Amino acid sequence: MRVTQSMLSSNFLRNVSNSYERMGKYQEQLSTGKKVTKPSDDPVVAMKGMNYRTELTEVQQYQRNLGEVHTWMDNSDAAMDKMTKALQRTRELAVQASNDSYEEGQRANIAKEVRQLKEHLIDLGNTKVNDKHIFNGTSTTNPRFDKDGNLDTANANSAAVNIEVSDGVKIRVNTNPSNIFVDSESGQSMMEALENFATDLESGETGETGDQLDDHIENIDGFINQVVNERASLGARMNRVDMIENRLNSQEITTTQVLSDNEDVDVEKVIMNLKSQESVHRAALSTGARIIQPTLMDFLR
Amino acid sequence: MSSTFSGLEVAKRALFTQQSALSTTGHNISNANTPGYSRQRVNFEQTSPYPAMGRNRPEIEGQIGQGVEAGSVQRVRDQFIDLQYRAENNKTGYWESRADALSQMEQIMNEPSETGLSDTMDQFWQSLNDLAGNPEDSGARSVVQQRGIAVADTFNYISDSLTAVQKDLENEINVTTKDINSVVSQIKDLNDQIKAVEPHGYLPNDLYDERDRLIDELSNMVNIDVEYNSSSDSAKDIAQGIASITLQNSEVKAIEGGALLTKDNVANQLDVAVKNNDSGQRLVTNIQINQMDKDGNKIGQEDFTPSDFSSNGKLKGLIESHGYQIETDSGQKEAEGIYVSMLEDIDKIAYAFADSFNIQHQKGYTLTENTDGLPKQGGAFFDTGSYSTDDYIGYASEMDLTSDVKSSEDNIAAALLVDESGNPLAPDQVEAGSYFGNGENAQALADVKGKVNAFLGENTSVQSYYEGMIGDLGVQAQEANRMADNASTLQQAVETRRQSVSGVSLDEEMSNMIKFQHAYNAAARNMTAVDEMLDRIINQMGLVGR
Repeated sequence: MRVTQSMLSSNFLRNVSNSYERMGKYQEQLSTGKKVTKPSDDPVVAMKGMNYRTELTEVQQYQRNLGEVHTWMDNSDAAMDKMTKALQRTRELAVQASNDSYEEGQRANIAKEVRQLKEHLIDLGNTKVNDKHIFNGTSTTNPRFDKDGNLDTANANSAAVNIEVSDGVKIRVNTNPSNIFVDSESGQSMMEALENFATDLESGETGETGDQLDDHIENIDGFINQVVNERASLGARMNRVDMIENRLNSQEITTTQVLSDNEDVDVEKVIMNLKSQESVHRAALSTGARIIQPTLMDFLR
Repeated sequence: MSSTFSGLEVAKRALFTQQSALSTTGHNISNANTPGYSRQRVNFEQTSPYPAMGRNRPEIEGQIGQGVEAGSVQRVRDQFIDLQYRAENNKTGYWESRADALSQMEQIMNEPSETGLSDTMDQFWQSLNDLAGNPEDSGARSVVQQRGIAVADTFNYISDSLTAVQKDLENEINVTTKDINSVVSQIKDLNDQIKAVEPHGYLPNDLYDERDRLIDELSNMVNIDVEYNSSSDSAKDIAQGIASITLQNSEVKAIEGGALLTKDNVANQLDVAVKNNDSGQRLVTNIQINQMDKDGNKIGQEDFTPSDFSSNGKLKGLIESHGYQIETDSGQKEAEGIYVSMLEDIDKIAYAFADSFNIQHQKGYTLTENTDGLPKQGGAFFDTGSYSTDDYIGYASEMDLTSDVKSSEDNIAAALLVDESGNPLAPDQVEAGSYFGNGENAQALADVKGKVNAFLGENTSVQSYYEGMIGDLGVQAQEANRMADNASTLQQAVETRRQSVSGVSLDEEMSNMIKFQHAYNAAARNMTAVDEMLDRIINQMGLVGR
């Protein structure tokens, strides 16, 4: 084949430009850290990448949701712990007062403490966390009780507040307040029961005896049990949340790994490629420089 | 006996011929870098020897050679390679214009990235999840509102950018059509010049080169069949004649009615019609060749539908990228093409998402009350205007939130209220203000993106449909890039072979130059020798005894 100078120089230019293109590709891969920057680089990787990104966003969002779940559950748990303590103190007082050796004046004093404990329980029932009343079902913007402990019947409810913690899995984060504050047998409310107890203590003159106070002890026991039961069910859900959290954490790692495997470059490999491409490039330049220079003119006199 | 002076004539012929060869060498060297130039050579021919045969021929011992003459000046070129070059060139034109259009589309879609539509949708999803956890929080509501606006904006942006590029493509179609017409008319002018030269027995090599260069240029834009017809009976056999040009399909057959330059050397006019269809899509509807007479008056036309226009090349690539109208077997008119399909898909997915989002939103309850004091149910979240599942073209560019939702974030329906058996509660069964902590509908709204959307297809969600669109785009762009690469590699290979035949080699010209120079010098020496012989005869003979 007849070869001319212009063929050599255009060949040389084309090769050098191809070489630059390849180096540009490696440069882009190294500076972005990604194997693909547009779908046509590898359609499958690009599509999978979008999917994995969404998946990762979801996992991270569920983790964020878990934070919300923890706020609800931990605060409910703490409040119920305090309720139990308050109710136990009330029970102690009831047992104390049921001693017939107690005089009326002493019982009236006990009644004062019982009233304070009732106030405390009202406060606990109206616990507000993160601007939300956590013992009032979905009616989180309204307090459950007024200051006398009467149920706000217009707005109060016991509906579940559910939060999604992984795809399609919703978990109830609040407690059922009617299970706590209403006697499951008699339907009497906790505040009412305590108020009655205090009143009975004060009305000792009318011949209130220790035996009669035993009914109240039973009532209070009932409430203690209800709170403990509700707390146990919350505790069980908290356990489940912990397990879900563990799963989400490992899922996040896996998804990140898969995402990275899918589209991140293997830096060592790219640097090696770049290095060998650089050698090719240098070789191309130096051959080009040698070949396009000499002409017959150099040797003709 | 031959003439005393014949030696002078032989040397003179040699001088003239070598000189013309030297000039041609100079011409070659000068044009070594001119695009489209093919090297030329002087065909040396021996002149007829002396004596010619005849009754009165002188009786000498043999025929004496009478030197050299320049038979013709011819360019060195292989027409077969030109054919191959043009066959590859139209493929390069076609695939490069497609690859260009697709790469611009990839830039607009900007996937995979942290800023594309997919990510905007993910962020919207996140904000809805946050709202589900804090339905009474006006901060969380504002975020949903703003991210909703961001989703609509992203759809607007993508749709508008695609439309802008489509508009550019339309311009490019027009420019290319003008280019084709202008190149054809330039070829026509060259034909005229060639027709004036060839009958005199000359070869207009430089005009041939220019014409071939223009035909190469034309073959990038459309696939063409070139035919040559003799310009005159008195032209040389190796003269190329008049070129006529006809569009050609991929089976290398001339398309009927596709003549751009007729055998009578009349240039026809190509015209591409772009119109809006009923749904407002901009489409190429017709490609037309206006047949002209010699005076430039239109005498007829040949119409091609875009799908019938089978001449490969840049023009076809542009038409397919821009979008064109096809007629289905049942006679329905539909739109096809890269940009128009993508725009349609974007409209479809935007409408599908907005519509199903609205349906879910309307099931929920807002934080506000109606004038009758009852809790207000959600209205539409996205404003779908007059668009419907039958007519969603153009929705993406106009997608927006309803003024209701934009005016107050409290109008976002985050609560989903059902009775024990799961049936939705009517407003009069709901206690106002008691459900503000319910975020179930926000969760359901978040799920809309990943849920099967019957409008998009079986087992297809908004998310997976969009992924499919991007995958499709990637595959198409990858194919176009690869094909453009292949075609240009092949074209370069052919170009190399062409250069191998027609390219000027400076070393070769240099050695030719020396060859011709030597021959010229030797011929001059020969002439001096003859001159000295004549001097001997005329001035120094017959002096005996003086």
